[in-house]
Amino acid sequence: MNIHGLQRNFCSAPTTLLPVQLPTRMESHLWYVLPDAVKSETLLKRYVDQTNDRVDPRSLNFKKNGYGKPEVEWQIADDWQPPALQFNISHTSSLIACGVTVDSPIGIDVEEKQRKLKHHILAFARRYFSSHEVEHLTSISDIEIQRQQFIKLWTLKEAYVKALGRGFSASPFKTFTIQLKAAAKRGIYLSRDVESEISEISVDSLGSENLTNNWQFLLLELAGSHYAAICMQKHNTLGGKGNVPIKLTARRTIPLVEDECVLGTSAVVPISGLTF
Amino acid sequence: MASLAQASTALSTSCKPTLQALSSRVSSLKSVSFSITGKRFPSLSSRPGRLQVSCSAKPETLNKVCDIVKKQLALPDTTAVTAGSKFTELGADSLDTVEIVMGLEEEFGISVEEDSAQTIATVQDAADLIEKLVEKKA
Repeated sequence: MNIHGLQRNFCSAPTTLLPVQLPTRMESHLWYVLPDAVKSETLLKRYVDQTNDRVDPRSLNFKKNGYGKPEVEWQIADDWQPPALQFNISHTSSLIACGVTVDSPIGIDVEEKQRKLKHHILAFARRYFSSHEVEHLTSISDIEIQRQQFIKLWTLKEAYVKALGRGFSASPFKTFTIQLKAAAKRGIYLSRDVESEISEISVDSLGSENLTNNWQFLLLELAGSHYAAICMQKHNTLGGKGNVPIKLTARRTIPLVEDECVLGTSAVVPISGLTF
Repeated sequence: MASLAQASTALSTSCKPTLQALSSRVSSLKSVSFSITGKRFPSLSSRPGRLQVSCSAKPETLNKVCDIVKKQLALPDTTAVTAGSKFTELGADSLDTVEIVMGLEEEFGISVEEDSAQTIATVQDAADLIEKLVEKKA
C-alpha cells in the first residue's frame, strides 16, 4: 500500500474552503470528524465535480440499496453521466469517518483502540470468527496485544462486509477469514510492536461463493485514538497479478468550516505496511 | 347520548367474534394482551374489526434482556430500558449488538443465526426471538 502525503496546509479562515477533486479510481479519500453531532452526509457534499459543475453539492440525495446500505441517489439527466461516487460511513462515540471512492464499492470501520469486550476475547472469537482467526488470536500470549489484534480483525471484517454491501447476515463473519501476513518471513512475532510486522492483509472466503479475489485493505491508526479499516476493490490495471496500491488521502474536517490534510502527521499511522 | 349508545353496542358486537376467532388461533400462547386504538368510541364503530392485539414475551424474559443490555452498555441504573428501547438509541454499536446477542445466547441457552440477529432492533424484538427459539428447543 502506498500512502501519499499532501503538503497543503489550509489557512484557518473559516469561510474559504477549497473545492476538492473527486478521488481517482485507485484512490480512497478518508474524512473524519471530531467530535460528533454532525451528519456525515454533509462530507460528500463538499465534493465538486471537476468536469461538470452541474452537481450542486447541496442537492445530493441519498437512498439505501436493497440491503440497507446508503448510497448517493443521482438525478437522472439525458446528457449527463454522474460520477460513480461511492462512500461508506462509520462512527464511534468520539469519531465519525467517511470513506469516498469512485467506481469501487467501499467499506470502512472505525473502533476505539482502547475498546474492551465484555466477553472473553477467545470465547467471542470462537463464536463469531473463523477458526483460522481464532488460531491467530490464540497464538498471541500478551493479553493486551491479543486485544489489539482482535479489534483490528473486527474492523477489517466489518469493513469487508460493509464493502460487500449485503448486510451482516449475507456474509456472516464465520464464512470468511482475514489473513494478516507478517512482514518477517519467519512469521513469528519477535517484538511487542506488532504494527510494523503486518505487510499484507487479504481475505479468503470459506464458503462456496468466491467473493474474495478482488478486495484490498488498509488498516491504520487514526487520530491517535482509533483503528480504521478500509476495504475497496483492487484495480487490475496490471492485468491481474500485481497489487496496485491504494492511494489514500486523509483529512480531518469540521464540515463546512475547516479541513486539515493529516497524512504525514501522527494523526494517521499506517499499520498494514508500506510498499515502495 | 344516542350516538354513544349506538357506538357501545357496535363495540360489544364487534368485539366478541373477533376475540373468539383470535383465542382459537392463539391457544398455545400463555398470555394475550390487546389494546384498543383510538380514543373515541364513535371511531371504533366505523372500523369494527380493528382491535390491535400484541402477543408479548413474558415479563421475566423482557427483564432479563433489559439487564443484559444494561450490563453490556454499562448504563447507569437510572437509565430507562423498556421493551420498546432501540439498541442503537441506547448507544449500542455493531460490536455491542453482537455482544448482546452472545449474552442472550448464553443466558437462554439458544443459538441465534445471523439473519435473525439482524432483525433485532429493540428489547422487545430480542425477547420475542428468544421465546421463539426457546420454544423450538423444547
